[in-house]
Amino acid sequence: MVLEIKNITKNFGGISALTDVSFQLKEGEIHGLIGPNGAGKTTMFNLITNMFPPTTGEIIFSNETITGIKPHKITDKGICRTFQNIRLFSQMTTLENVMVGAHSRSKAGVFSGVFRPKSQRTEERKIREKAIELLDLVGLSEFHDVVSENLSYGQQRRLEIARALASDPKLLLLDEPAAGMNETETASLFDLIKQVQVRGISVLIIEHDMPLVMKLCDHITVLNFGKKLAEGTPEEIQNNPAVIEAYLGSEEDDEIA
Amino acid sequence: MLAELLNPYYLQIGSFILINIILAISIYVTLSSGQLSLGSAGFMGIGAYTSALVTIHFDLPIIVGVIVASLVAGIFGIIVGLPSLRLSGVYLAIATLGFGEVMRVFFVNWESVTKGSVGLSGIPHIGRELLNLFRDAGLDPSSIGLRNNQFVYLLVLILLLLITIFIIWFFVRQNNSRVGRAFAAIKMDEKAAEAMGINITYYKVLSFTQGAIVAGFAGSLFAHVLAYISPADFAYHRAVEILIFAVFGGSEVILGAIFGATFMTLLPEALRVISEYRYMIYGLILIFMMAFRPQGIITENMVQWLKKKFSSKRGKSHGSRN
Amino acid sequence: MLLEQLINGITLGSIYAIVALGFTLVFGVLGIINMAHGEIFMFGAFIGVIVTSTLKWPLWAAFLVAIVATAILGYLLERFALRPLRGKQGVSHLAPLISTIGVSIFLENASHHLFGAGNQPFRNSFAEINFQIGSITVYLVQIVIFAISIVLMMGLSYWLLRTKAGKALRATAENLETASILGVDTKRIIILTVIIASALGGIAGILVGMAFNSVNPQMGLSMGLKGLAIIILGGMGNVKGAMAGGLILGLAETLVVAYGDSGYRDAIAFITIIVILLLRPQGIFGKKSAAEGR
Repeated sequence: MVLEIKNITKNFGGISALTDVSFQLKEGEIHGLIGPNGAGKTTMFNLITNMFPPTTGEIIFSNETITGIKPHKITDKGICRTFQNIRLFSQMTTLENVMVGAHSRSKAGVFSGVFRPKSQRTEERKIREKAIELLDLVGLSEFHDVVSENLSYGQQRRLEIARALASDPKLLLLDEPAAGMNETETASLFDLIKQVQVRGISVLIIEHDMPLVMKLCDHITVLNFGKKLAEGTPEEIQNNPAVIEAYLGSEEDDEIA
Repeated sequence: MLAELLNPYYLQIGSFILINIILAISIYVTLSSGQLSLGSAGFMGIGAYTSALVTIHFDLPIIVGVIVASLVAGIFGIIVGLPSLRLSGVYLAIATLGFGEVMRVFFVNWESVTKGSVGLSGIPHIGRELLNLFRDAGLDPSSIGLRNNQFVYLLVLILLLLITIFIIWFFVRQNNSRVGRAFAAIKMDEKAAEAMGINITYYKVLSFTQGAIVAGFAGSLFAHVLAYISPADFAYHRAVEILIFAVFGGSEVILGAIFGATFMTLLPEALRVISEYRYMIYGLILIFMMAFRPQGIITENMVQWLKKKFSSKRGKSHGSRN
Repeated sequence: MLLEQLINGITLGSIYAIVALGFTLVFGVLGIINMAHGEIFMFGAFIGVIVTSTLKWPLWAAFLVAIVATAILGYLLERFALRPLRGKQGVSHLAPLISTIGVSIFLENASHHLFGAGNQPFRNSFAEINFQIGSITVYLVQIVIFAISIVLMMGLSYWLLRTKAGKALRATAENLETASILGVDTKRIIILTVIIASALGGIAGILVGMAFNSVNPQMGLSMGLKGLAIIILGGMGNVKGAMAGGLILGLAETLVVAYGDSGYRDAIAFITIIVILLLRPQGIFGKKSAAEGR
């Protein structure tokens, strides 16, 4: 098990965003986290990366309890994420964004950075090469020097993935990476995530694009109103009556709105 | 002939420009990680008094005084910077302003040490020490056709120039490295930076402390160039002045700090009539800049454009901070 | 003796409270800290000097002129230093702060040229009148100051709570967009807020002249920072907090001067700022969310 979520509950004041949720990820798995809007999915990501602590419960990563560890240390340990509403470093170039991602895998400090001994120059070169390679992987090789806020929406999403990969994670958390993508882009995204899996990285993905989720994921956890509704393979989930009801219900609401 | 060119007054203005550039850099450094500190005047004062007292009471060479002063300012930087992490934006600005004022009150009231409002005089002068060095080496100013005081001011200017160039070089190099990227990331999106593995606490305190050290360093230089300091030199007005260097010149890039300090130091000199109303003009500049060009005159884009014009054959990817 | 010091402290505290009210109103409605508030206060004091000493008009005229003058200053501040910054995208939240710093040094320098750099005496006819209650001497001036402060505070509270305009102000303070959607003329309310806040500053300026019989141009900066300390202590945007904070600071300063080292009096305000911001950024009465990195 690369990730174990154990009885996580998160309350904000009087509102319970997550109640007693538990699920697990096997190493090398692509695991989907789905559910209607407001089900608590992004909250779960925020808890895993400790943007805030859970009210109760534990999170275990590679057999180590990481609940409550400082966010940057969690990245150190090998978990990295993308954001639902894209949080790139907007005034940096595409290449620089990815190079920042490699921060936790490098160590040059003030003096190395200024006086640049051989070790620092080698490290910088490696960071840069890795960034170029990752940009190639996500299909952004022509955009190295473009300031990231000038990229298209879909390109920005891919950049975020490249940036997260630069931290050499064991577990990648993707928050709605396909949002706003057309069919071609979604197909490329599918290939990209599969390639990530080939590299031995486990993936936990929040998504609303059901065809993508069903094709991509080895295993799926369904949340609704902060509680776990179901867990299983794509076939099992697709045929689960409770899941169907939860989704059909909210689909109708969406149409009226 | 050299003698006519080197008017001591102009040389001294040159020295002030350089010290102001260093001060502007001190505020730029903390800004580069997204923190607005209005405490530069306080750290400057700490540096000035520390160096002055160390050199006066312990008869140590100026360079020792300057080093000790910078370290002390740095320590205060950590002391102020750590708790200030909890604050951001406006709250940080006010807290640092408060800190600057607390320091000033201490300088005024701790009379036994600082001589209070009367100020400290008789501070060893860099120029004198340099002059003596040269004399001991057998070189006399008149041998190159200069009067003593011209020579002194010239030496001071050259020394300050070298120091300033070194400081600029230091921070330009830092910007284009891992630490510089971390600062910029924090400035643009702190939470995202943290999620990418950057230790926010460490880097923010680092940036803040660097600003304090640079300001303290400038303060010690100030003390040894003027040979006299008083609490009024490090009051609110000074903090505002330093703020203007960065706000007017350009807060995104180090060139902005350099430009702002140079322009703002020269302006009252070039326009005598302005000198009397300088603070009113400063005020108007701040209001005007915030309304029409909040990032300052020299922006990131401008620097990129300048770089493209002088671009090298290496075609290396452009940095986003400079 | 202690009782007299307490009375002094309360007098000073009431003046501080009025200044703080001005700060807190602007912060509550606009979300910004008006660094020029202290200078406006100082202008009010100097106007009082000119009216009473140069023009030799009575005290109440001084109040009137000061209120009008500072109200105008407030309007100009809003119009030229604050309004251009609203509704601009990408403007950092620091911009209004820096802009008001600009206004503050502009005004400070202007007052140097207009009013001179030194202390100016503030004469008022009943400065000497006092009463003996037991062993303590209470000055009429102190009573008047305290009375005016109470009337202002109660008046303001009533106005905010009960009148339509006051409620509109509170609505705007709570949520500008929603208030606007609900039909509140937020632009007018903002102008009104800044004018009222500045007028409060002007009144406080006259009161200070009355209390200490002299005014000086450094008052602005000093009061500005103290006003800040008070609203941070009491909780930004909180009217009760401003009043309580003002009284606390006034008492603390008076006692330090009476029983401690008077030179450090000004440091109290600044140290308070720092300590409170570190330990309890929302202040005594404030709510937690307000203080986290705006």
